Amino acid sequence: MSELLVETRQVEEITLIYPRGYINAHTVRLFEGEIQKALQQNRFKIVVNCAGLAYIASAGLGAIMGAIEEIRGNGGDLRLSELNETVRNIFEILGFNHLYRIFPSEVEAIMSFRGEGTAA
Amino acid sequence: MRSATPRSGEPRLRLVFPSETSFLGLVRDVSRKMAEGAGFDASTASQIALAVDEASTNVLEHAYHGAPDRLVEIRYRDDGLDFEVDVCDAGDRVDPRDVPKVDLRQYANERRTGGLGVHLMGKIMDRVTFRRSRGRNVCCLVKRRPSPMAAS
Repeated sequence: MSELLVETRQVEEITLIYPRGYINAHTVRLFEGEIQKALQQNRFKIVVNCAGLAYIASAGLGAIMGAIEEIRGNGGDLRLSELNETVRNIFEILGFNHLYRIFPSEVEAIMSFRGEGTAA
Repeated sequence: MRSATPRSGEPRLRLVFPSETSFLGLVRDVSRKMAEGAGFDASTASQIALAVDEASTNVLEHAYHGAPDRLVEIRYRDDGLDFEVDVCDAGDRVDPRDVPKVDLRQYANERRTGGLGVHLMGKIMDRVTFRRSRGRNVCCLVKRRPSPMAAS
C-alpha cells in the first residue's frame, strides 16, 4: 500500500502539485522530486493543493523550505491551498503560515499569481 | 507488539520495530490510537503521533545513520495524569538539545532544514527530555492528559 501519491498538472505558467496521503521521512523523496521537476523546467510558480494531504512531518516541511529560496529567487513562489485541520495546525505551530501564502481554495491560489502579472 | 493490563509504572504497550522508514506509518497509526485511548481528541492525538514520528525519524537518521538492521523500541505509558512515550535506541549517543533553536526566517534564507523535527516535538508536547540509560538513548515525550472537567 502506497502511503503517498503525488500528481502534477500545469495550468498556463502555474504548476499544481497534489500530494495525496502522508508525507514523512519515508515518502518525502516523491514529494520533493515533483517540486524539483518543476524547478528543472524553470517553472517557479507552484501551488501545492493539500486537499488530499492527511499528514506532513518535518521532512515534508523541509522539502518546501529547501526549495523556496530558488523559487523566489527566480521571481516565483510556492503557495498552498486547501489544508485540512491537522496540516494547518502543524503549519501554525511552526509559524509556516507567516512564511507561505495559504489559500482556502486552489482557484484563489491560482488567481493570486495572475493578479501579479509576470512577477510573482 | 506487546499489550497487557500494565502494573503501576509499567508501559501500557511496547512497540519494537526495525530501523526502516517504511515502519513510520505504523508508528504514526499506533501512536494516534494510543493517544486517543488516553482521552485526547483526534486533532491532539494526530499531533502527538507526529511528535513520536519525529522522535523515531531522529533515531533512524542520527542514532542509526540509516542502518536498516537495528531496532527501535517505543513504550507508551499512561499514569492517569500524563501520557508518556519513550522512544529508545541502542545507536550512537545523540542529544538533540544540541540542535540550535530554530529561527524559521533564517532557515528559509539559508536553505536549512535540519532541526525542525526537534522544534516540532517541543511545540507539541508539554515536556521533551533526552537521556542515556544503559547504553541506550531514551527520548521521553510527555503530554498532560486533558482533565475531565475541561472536557465537560
